[in-house]
Amino acid sequence: MNVLEMRNVSRAYRQGEDVLKGLDLTVSQGEVIGLLGRNGAGKTTLLRIALGLLESQSGSVSVFGLDPREEPVAVKQKVGYVSEDQVLPGFMRVHEVIDMHRKLFPDWDEELALELSSRFHMDADQRIKHLSKGQARQVALLCAVAHRPPLLLLDEPAGGLDPAMRREFLETAIQLLGESGSTILFSSHHMTDVERLASRLVMIHEGQKWIDSSLDDVREGYCLALFPVSDGVTAQDLLQLPSCLSARERGDAVRAVFELDSATCRRQLGDKLQREEIQCQPLPLEEMFIELVGGGRS
Amino acid sequence: MIFVVDPHSGVPLFQQLMEQVKLAIAAGRLQPGDALPSVRSLAVPLGVNPMTISKAYNLLQREGILDHRPGKPLVVAAIAEDQLGARRLSQLEKALRPAAALASQLAIEPDEAVALYRRLLSATKES
Repeated sequence: MNVLEMRNVSRAYRQGEDVLKGLDLTVSQGEVIGLLGRNGAGKTTLLRIALGLLESQSGSVSVFGLDPREEPVAVKQKVGYVSEDQVLPGFMRVHEVIDMHRKLFPDWDEELALELSSRFHMDADQRIKHLSKGQARQVALLCAVAHRPPLLLLDEPAGGLDPAMRREFLETAIQLLGESGSTILFSSHHMTDVERLASRLVMIHEGQKWIDSSLDDVREGYCLALFPVSDGVTAQDLLQLPSCLSARERGDAVRAVFELDSATCRRQLGDKLQREEIQCQPLPLEEMFIELVGGGRS
Repeated sequence: MIFVVDPHSGVPLFQQLMEQVKLAIAAGRLQPGDALPSVRSLAVPLGVNPMTISKAYNLLQREGILDHRPGKPLVVAAIAEDQLGARRLSQLEKALRPAAALASQLAIEPDEAVALYRRLLSATKES
């Protein structure tokens, strides 16, 4: 059974303006998926639909075989959720928030909760409203993972945190992977976190899946080709080629991302464009993201 | 045994780990029979997905560099002395190949390049 299955999921907040447009996503046990996309691409919407906070307006969603709309409690007990804009009640003290979650989850692991609160140097008597953004996020993370959920949904979990706190967050997620074999679906704009944590990459663009591939395949299966503008090759020409994902003119070069490894790309482009010495290189995730969203065909 | 990974480099993290194990063996910092840290103990301090580390270990096993006996930690495989020498050379070759390409791009004569390398070698030895 798949951990998460989304079929033809759509969602519009205003009529005619679909944020998600018939998206399919299947997640199996133990996968760690990095969800990429620009602001507004639909990442948060997707995660909220998976948790049952939002309803899909078409298709079907199943989490561990359950429909989040029909069995919201059963689904939430199997899922841990942290989001960037999560609001914990400001008047409560840290230990009260934790106590409340302990009662909600039958599988609460007190040992893990204690370990995390000491790792994060939490002050249990502090009121939530007096915590920094990072400290509040740590309380949210503790509450989301202390029942060792088999599925973690993290929406920009490290957004706005300093590098040390981001690292602690990452290490906590890795610890859970190692100990509980959790499945993780997380969105992030921090490509280094994605490289460290993810085994699979899903890029959403304009409400649809653009790339869905293992991290290693992404690194080996895509490359950046550079043409001097003086060569006379235009971005439009390149976009006509079947494996070209994006192309744009920047400065005095046309930069194009191809769904090919560098060597194949160099050979194929050389044959097609009757040119020698085409510059093709593998590209780091961050560059790929920027090139794709900046020069995609739409 | 300390590994480091650099997620900015564009080289897959599992390959970075494999290279570092090979380098440690070639340099003698890891000896045949030495145990490697477990996947779990490495994942958190290194800040990488445990699967990435198992992938590196599995590939090293397949290459015959690591040896696994059920229930025991992974160890460095026994290798013949002459093979170790060959491995040291191949490590060096990997580092020199880009330098050779650069020399040819800059149209530096092989004799000149070799002389420079010799000078660097003796300077390193002295310091």
